[in-house]
Amino acid sequence: MTETRHGDTGEEGRGPEPGAAVAAPGSGPLRADVRRGLRAGLVTFWDLIKMMVPAYFVALLLERLGVIDVLAEGAEPVMSVLGLPGEAAVPLVVGYVLNIYAAIGAMQALALTAQQITVLAIAVLIGHNLLVEGVVLQRAGMNGVAFGVLRIVAGLAAAGVANLLMGVF
Amino acid sequence: MDAVTGFLRAFIEGAGDLALRMFVIVVPIMVVMEVLEGTRPFRAFVRIWARLVGRWLGMSERAAAPTVIGFLFGLAYGGSLIVRDTRRHSLRRRQVFQMSVFLSMVHAVVEDSLIFVAVGASAFWIVVYRCAWAAAVTVVLGAVAVAFVERQRARRSRPPV
Repeated sequence: MTETRHGDTGEEGRGPEPGAAVAAPGSGPLRADVRRGLRAGLVTFWDLIKMMVPAYFVALLLERLGVIDVLAEGAEPVMSVLGLPGEAAVPLVVGYVLNIYAAIGAMQALALTAQQITVLAIAVLIGHNLLVEGVVLQRAGMNGVAFGVLRIVAGLAAAGVANLLMGVF
Repeated sequence: MDAVTGFLRAFIEGAGDLALRMFVIVVPIMVVMEVLEGTRPFRAFVRIWARLVGRWLGMSERAAAPTVIGFLFGLAYGGSLIVRDTRRHSLRRRQVFQMSVFLSMVHAVVEDSLIFVAVGASAFWIVVYRCAWAAAVTVVLGAVAVAFVERQRARRSRPPV
């Protein structure tokens, strides 16, 4: 709080100097914005990493223990429609329950082609963090569960169509 | 023992790679966003864009603004604006539905997309294709919902035989 104060008065004090005149009128001083952005960036980076690294650890551990092989076999029929290996079901489910950062962490443990990464990204980007975001939609007066189902189905459909189109082009 | 060291080495390498990619993406985005958000041209752009895209997707101008915010910055921002505006009774149920469908297909388009680009996904497919998909789903589901509501209404208003 005090720090921001100091920064603001500092920028104001420097106002008459030629450099400060570059800042657009009405917008905050550029340097303060950059500093705020850096702080937000570092905080966000840390939040994401806290999520991704443990997810990666668990996914890698499960893979080494052979658990993912078992799961992958079960998911194989569905995943193959999307041109994905069965084990790609892991980041997908992790994304549904948690969020895209955890899904990326789980993806990191798999060997995927560029096209497979893109197809999986489409499914995860449409359907993720369903519990938390379902609550947001519920609070807006919508049916959170129905929207969860919509996002899973529409995400898989979008991924499937993209996979077909990518094969054509 | 060998399996354990192998696992740990793979974990450290993979986690380091992941952290580096995220750092390179996330920190610069946040700086750019912070600088952009306050500028007048950017706010004007959001307003114009809201008007154009919103009408296309069957949204009122009032509904378009939270949608653009959610589209760019995430469901948490857009969603909370929707909740706030719904509380103020300024949004019709149909508007909330259109916004919710569109935003549940695509939101936080800058950050989320770039994070996937960082790990090797194609920007075209996850941005352009996904937006087109979201727009199509919104238009189709919107039409279906309208037809459904009309039918309900017609059934209710029909005199009992």
